[in-house]
Amino acid sequence: MGSIEGILSGVQLAFSIEGILFVFLGVLAGTLIGMMPGLGPISAIAIMIPLTYNMDPTVALVLMAGVYYGAVFGGSTSSILLNAPGISGTVATSFDGYPMAQRGEAGKALAVAAIASFFGGTVSVILLMLFAPVLSSVAIVFGPPEYFALMVLGLTAISSLSDGSTVKALISAVLGIMAVTIGIDSQTGTTRFTFNNPNLLEGIDFLVVALGLFALAEVCALIINRNQTSKDRKSLGSLKLSKNDMKDMSGPMGRQSILGFILGVLPGAGATIASFIGYITEKKLAKKPEEFGKGAVRGVAAPETANNAATSGAFVPLLSLGIPGSGTTAVLLGALLVLDIQPGPLLMSEQPQLFWGVIVSMYVGNLFLLILNLPLIPYIAKILAIPRPLLISLVIMFSMIGVYSISFNTFDLYLLVIFGVIGYLMRLFKFPPAPFILAFILGGMMEESFRQAMTMSNNDLSIFINKPIALGMLIAAFLSFTVPIWQGYRSNKKNSA
Amino acid sequence: MLKPVHRKISLLLIALAIFYLYLAYQLPSFSNSVINASTMPKILGFGLIALSLFLFFTPEQETKEEKEKRHIPKADLIKIAGVVLMILAYIFFLERLGFILVSFLFIYFCSYFLGYTKHSINFLVSILFPAILYSAFTMLLGISLPSGIIPF
Repeated sequence: MGSIEGILSGVQLAFSIEGILFVFLGVLAGTLIGMMPGLGPISAIAIMIPLTYNMDPTVALVLMAGVYYGAVFGGSTSSILLNAPGISGTVATSFDGYPMAQRGEAGKALAVAAIASFFGGTVSVILLMLFAPVLSSVAIVFGPPEYFALMVLGLTAISSLSDGSTVKALISAVLGIMAVTIGIDSQTGTTRFTFNNPNLLEGIDFLVVALGLFALAEVCALIINRNQTSKDRKSLGSLKLSKNDMKDMSGPMGRQSILGFILGVLPGAGATIASFIGYITEKKLAKKPEEFGKGAVRGVAAPETANNAATSGAFVPLLSLGIPGSGTTAVLLGALLVLDIQPGPLLMSEQPQLFWGVIVSMYVGNLFLLILNLPLIPYIAKILAIPRPLLISLVIMFSMIGVYSISFNTFDLYLLVIFGVIGYLMRLFKFPPAPFILAFILGGMMEESFRQAMTMSNNDLSIFINKPIALGMLIAAFLSFTVPIWQGYRSNKKNSA
Repeated sequence: MLKPVHRKISLLLIALAIFYLYLAYQLPSFSNSVINASTMPKILGFGLIALSLFLFFTPEQETKEEKEKRHIPKADLIKIAGVVLMILAYIFFLERLGFILVSFLFIYFCSYFLGYTKHSINFLVSILFPAILYSAFTMLLGISLPSGIIPF
């Protein structure tokens, strides 16, 4: 099947009643979950996984992609209304969004966010359509050494780009791979680190890790802030934008949709980095940079365009290489594997309807975000009034049932609690959890491709040097963590001198 | 010397790495496979030691504010411990008493414990939410959750 036919079959799927219904449900659920403080796209997708078990894989993926960008948009709503970003990707939105809301222009800020998200999302989906096939065709020449190098690059890149210390992020990644070595080793059949517990033979399910490290760990933070209610809600004001506002938005939207997409494609960067870089570049380019931080329309448009563009960009490596570049796409990959889909260069030729269906449904999803969510915002915002104690109990119960419904084993629930505690301690001591989950998902594949590469070369490590693509990626991986560590060391030395 | 908290953490991590390596060295090796089951774990164990040592010698960077952020008031710790105990009870009774009943008790008492005092709303949510979820899972998704002592 050629590309055109593939796209057509994708269009057919995306515009079927089922397709539209699930995109809508996904976007709506994502917006609702993303709006809740602390719950971001990773938790949103992880929570939705049990619901997709018996679904058609394509529909399930359409649903989860909707949840993903719905959650990113939902996060900006709580950033604007409460100054409480649900996720790190929308922190930059609160810089100008919240001052606008305080001025009584919350409606306008939300409209700007919705339009900018739509624009960023749409442009980047077009870019995704253009680039994913190209990358897929390049990726077909990838063998085990290249895949291994790519995964190492993904892990070091996410470690060096996550907030805070690179060393701590790398430790987090190593712990993630260690966690995945528990269970029967697929190649030799050896049981590793199971302590003779039969429940551990098949390893730890990724949903246990994802829900524990994210949803449950966030619950601990919610318990501490349980008395903070959103009392400072004011009237939303009009949603209408003036011609001047539109003019103000157009520049940032044009630039950030492309920049955001590029940053989204790169392993490790993702929505957070894209939104901050978007905000900073627009502030530098602005004629009146002093307006930034005080409720500038551009200050909302820039990060919102960038984070949504990055969201679609992140699908490029996931769908075309089968390698997630961020924590969220890692969870998405886990969800795909549960559904028996192996993303990678062959996905486009073997399952064109799935590949293109998801991409085309992103257009539809972005449209839903704009035309459906916008008028619904005043009502959706009421979810923020759910009392925290009730929200906490419901999130806990939902996480438990999510895990129980895959294994029907209460042992996994105890493990979930343990990972919840680990996730909370990691946050407390500033170890970023995203590298952990990415490493957990990639760990098994990494070991496998390392083994295949070593078997190919008859145990000769030089195979990673003789292959130029693999070598290039390994050098990039090495630089991606040594440079920030070296810079940190130098700035420390300067400070203490 | 151990005052900055990251040094204590790095020592804990080194201890974990040593324990992990000890277990990795116990793994059987096969002469016919190029990469043994213990190869990757050994790399990981030594990698963790190296990274932890690096963390140990990293100078203190925490601001006072960040330190204070880490301090959790005793009242909150009690609440977290209470919720964890309730979660453990939930897991213990899930298969024994059934999903709907245990979830009802959990949502109601957990919300109450965390300070929610609108009993009628709490009661309604704790009944409706598990019931809807139970029907969705069993009827729509074909996943049967434990019915326990409730006969449907």
